[in-house]
Amino acid sequence: MKLAVVNNCVPFVAGGAEHLAEALTQKLREYGHEAVLIRIPFRWEPPAKIIESMLACRLLRLPNVDRVVALKFPAYLVPHPEKMLWLLHQFRQAYDLWGTRFQGLPDTPEGRRIRDVIVEADNRFLRQVRKIYTNSQVTSDRLRRFNGIDSEVLLPPLADTSQFFCAGYGDYILYPGRITASKRQLLAVEAMRHVTTDVRLVIAGRHEAPADLAQIEAVIQQHRLARRVQVIPRFISEEEKAALLSRALACAYFPYDEDSYGYVTLEAYYSRKPVITCSDSGGVCMVVKDGVTGHVTPPDPQAVAAAMDRLYLDRAAARRMGEAGLELLRSLQIGWDRVIEALTQ
Amino acid sequence: MRIAWFTPYSRKSAIARFSAAVVRELARQETVDLWYPRTGDPLAAEVHNVSFRDASEVDSQKLAAYDLLVYNLGNHLPFHREIYEVSRRFPGLCVMHDFVMHHFFAAYYLEHLRRPQAYVAIMRRCAGARGASVAEEIVTGRRRPVWETDEVTRYALFEEAIRGAYGVVAHSEFFRRHVEAVSPVPCARLYLPYELMPVKSGFSRQELGIPDSKLLLITIGHVNPNKRVPSVLQALAANRDLLERIVYVVAGPCDPGRLAELESIISRLGLEGIVRLTGYVEEGPLQAYLRHADLCINLRFPAIEGASASLVEEMLHGKAVIVTDTGFYSELPSDCVMKIRPEHEQEDLTSALRRLVTDAGLREAIGSRAREFAEKHFRADQYAREFLKFAWEVRSARPLLELVDRVAGELKCMGVTKEMQIVDTVSRECEQLFCAGPEPWTGSG
Amino acid sequence: MKIIIATSNVPFVRGGAHLMADWLGQTLRAQGHQVEILELPFSSRWENLLEQMLAFRLIDLSQHGDLLIAIRPPSYLLRHPNKVLWFIHHLRGAYDLWGTRYQDLPSSPEGLRCREAIMRADNAAFAEARKIYCNSQVVADRLARFNRVQAEVLYPPLFQPERFRTGQTGDYLLCVSRLTHHKRQWLALEALRHTQTPVRLVMVGRPDPGEETYAMELSSLIQRYRLSDRVVLIDRWIPEEEKIRLLAECLAAVYLPLDEDSYGYASLEAHHAGKAVLTTADAGGTRELVLDGLNGMVAAPDPEAIATAMDRLYADRSMAQRMGEAGRQRIAELGISWDRVIEKLLS
Repeated sequence: MKLAVVNNCVPFVAGGAEHLAEALTQKLREYGHEAVLIRIPFRWEPPAKIIESMLACRLLRLPNVDRVVALKFPAYLVPHPEKMLWLLHQFRQAYDLWGTRFQGLPDTPEGRRIRDVIVEADNRFLRQVRKIYTNSQVTSDRLRRFNGIDSEVLLPPLADTSQFFCAGYGDYILYPGRITASKRQLLAVEAMRHVTTDVRLVIAGRHEAPADLAQIEAVIQQHRLARRVQVIPRFISEEEKAALLSRALACAYFPYDEDSYGYVTLEAYYSRKPVITCSDSGGVCMVVKDGVTGHVTPPDPQAVAAAMDRLYLDRAAARRMGEAGLELLRSLQIGWDRVIEALTQ
Repeated sequence: MRIAWFTPYSRKSAIARFSAAVVRELARQETVDLWYPRTGDPLAAEVHNVSFRDASEVDSQKLAAYDLLVYNLGNHLPFHREIYEVSRRFPGLCVMHDFVMHHFFAAYYLEHLRRPQAYVAIMRRCAGARGASVAEEIVTGRRRPVWETDEVTRYALFEEAIRGAYGVVAHSEFFRRHVEAVSPVPCARLYLPYELMPVKSGFSRQELGIPDSKLLLITIGHVNPNKRVPSVLQALAANRDLLERIVYVVAGPCDPGRLAELESIISRLGLEGIVRLTGYVEEGPLQAYLRHADLCINLRFPAIEGASASLVEEMLHGKAVIVTDTGFYSELPSDCVMKIRPEHEQEDLTSALRRLVTDAGLREAIGSRAREFAEKHFRADQYAREFLKFAWEVRSARPLLELVDRVAGELKCMGVTKEMQIVDTVSRECEQLFCAGPEPWTGSG
Repeated sequence: MKIIIATSNVPFVRGGAHLMADWLGQTLRAQGHQVEILELPFSSRWENLLEQMLAFRLIDLSQHGDLLIAIRPPSYLLRHPNKVLWFIHHLRGAYDLWGTRYQDLPSSPEGLRCREAIMRADNAAFAEARKIYCNSQVVADRLARFNRVQAEVLYPPLFQPERFRTGQTGDYLLCVSRLTHHKRQWLALEALRHTQTPVRLVMVGRPDPGEETYAMELSSLIQRYRLSDRVVLIDRWIPEEEKIRLLAECLAAVYLPLDEDSYGYASLEAHHAGKAVLTTADAGGTRELVLDGLNGMVAAPDPEAIATAMDRLYADRSMAQRMGEAGRQRIAELGISWDRVIEKLLS
């Protein structure tokens, strides 16, 4: 079967969805299919450009393709008789982000019309696809709630797991990933004020805005945590990340209300490390079972600190929970066998 | 070029005769298939033809084989309904035989489909809020239907008939201008061709009951109010000294109500014996009336047809015709017909009648110029030539029209409304990309 | 610099444009630039041309990158303030193939208008480009003739040409090309019938989508002409190393496309492997690379003339070798190099 994986792109910006799209294309080939990745530029500023991008997608043609797997708005609007979705993103600004400060679209007559068009297009064209998978229950719930459309959850696996390994359980909790307010590395730093053991914290990742980093450094300064908290504020290569994970005691990852579980959790488990997350972290809670594969705490510094200390004091439990994490992934069928089977059915 | 020519083809339809003549000429150069709604009495067809009972019977696959679909549309629902419905599914070139299409759509929505709200909707589409409110009043019985009054020309609704068409043929400059004002689609004005029916065993004047000593004045065709028969009667009554010289025959079908009305006017004005209302007349006697006529009266006000087949017929017979100076009639040279001003109807009618009844030479002169003009312009072969030229233009316009349609369809599916910026953006881009700039060099030589 | 390389393709068909984009991208990255390669899907069905062109037009890249390099049509429609074209061919059905059997637009009024619309759009896009380069003189001439545009020839080089090596001078002619009618593998077979020497022919290439029957026709021609023991047809994908080996050991390369836009990578590969190229007088851009008697042979496009050339190569291996060597020099002479390409595109 000739499959086209169709995704958006913003030139020179590669995010999580881009890596997944590439990984999917690669995996499809590994499993014996012909696959190609098609990336269609998407521009949403000024808002009128959204409609132009949508129309462009509707007017494009995909010859010589047996099936399309589309991932995001508006790339999923490209016409094809055999289209499936592995929905990572609708245009949330028109849906759950409308009415919040992340709305993005102006609340003017034209802005509202644009929102209506996005919704109308989704309602109509998403109903024409053969099957919709989504990357998380949250995405499925939104699709049902806002568009009345049913979908099946197909959890995204890691592209490559071979580079992760376990080299023992050290003395630091690792918080990898982009440093932003919504990822809440700050909460981890605050927790370090309350730990009673010698556990350390390592934060590794590029910051989005200078303010995000400045805030963290300020707290470290203010509470003299410099020897306990290490910040590596730059892009971390895959090798570096794997190495840091391999020697970590555990992984901390508690973003605010994330759609999906995030790759960090999977990477931790493939390194056999437990995960500390919070009860309001959204999709992450799906793959972290309190006391079994890690800890799910209320989002306050003392609770997080307690979890950190517990792990520090019981390395054997950390190991057990890390293994259990991997087992949980298997039981949730988070893997490429399941994905390829679903998309090539 | 492969053409599918959709037309009424019943013997009772003047458009059927028109189509037979035009298709015969077109078929000399191109492949033409006649498609017509099945009736009990079709004309004989000289080309390959397909009849259908219902628009749904028309097979899209079969139509795909044609380069051009042509739809002959007119105001009479029974003749044109199925054709109209096909044209909705498969856009093509519309040949418009009537300017006012209101009766057609009123009958279609109110009687055939019984969807009064759809009637209101099209009135809104064509005539805005005013149209919608008039329509509402009509369907709720609070207002006399516009199709029964002269007001109907303000709500012609021809726009509905040509919606989505790739091209429009109108038979008068008057109509063409109206189309141009509402639609960017190519529109051509062609002169309506007419062919004289072969003279059958002719009825003589005696057989028609016309004394040799009297001049025969005729008005032919369906007796609609806009033919101004009451006005003619009034003018006759005002010129009593002419009456002994003439017989006025009104030869055409008439609604019972109107018939009664006219009879009462005739009686009131003391015109019995002078004026004869024949009702529907068979082709034979009708042709005989035409042949024997000394003078034709062919008034129209307001103008609701695009052109007038009856006038063309009269001119081809070499008759002097009194016409109203409006619509299609205005476009004819003033020495080929006797024009009267609609706002001075009685005054000009009197003057025209007096001159033509008393001056045989004048009748002769006008009549022969009329025949000359008609024979030159109202020819089927001329029509076919110009039609094909226009068809080429229409087909050339199609790729861009289809692109715009395609894009509009997508935007509509997305719920885009016409005030949104994208609408301007797209039309500007299409214009700049595909239409603007210097003529491209096609590299010949 | 942030550079966007934009091109179009039919999904799963890897044409020259894909390689150009890919290799240009790699070369630019090696020089420290940030590169984004966009390969947008495009169908050549004439009924869908105008709407796809409009789609490309609606894709606005003007806020991204410092430079947009557009390769295959209609990627030159993409909007960008600093747009440079490395133009490889027109939508040929509307241009030089109009009036030939390859004219895909109908000659109806619709087709004529469509053709006109395409040309107008192209002209508008060309006017926006800061600079237009193209891959051959053939194409430059067409741009001048049809679009009144001056384009500078910038020959597309091979990537890492040091991959190619010279081996023995064998007894087979090698034809590496997509299997499609206008690449004229069938003509090579017709010619082989007329040869006097036992020269062999190896043909490598995969059929374009929809051309599977062409591959079968070739096989049946081989059968019919009883050439099975002299012809090898490899109509599947082979690894790069295999192709390099076949080239290294061949007598010479044979490349007989009809009116090709450019010289074709096959010819360039042959010369990098130190091999002569046998082509025809009507091969188009290949004639800019191959000069008869110097680095190859240019035969009249009929089977007998081609057969004669084939025999001459077989009979005189040292001539074949000399011509192959001259091929290397010819590349340098024409300035076919990535340094030159980058210097020009970024200037």
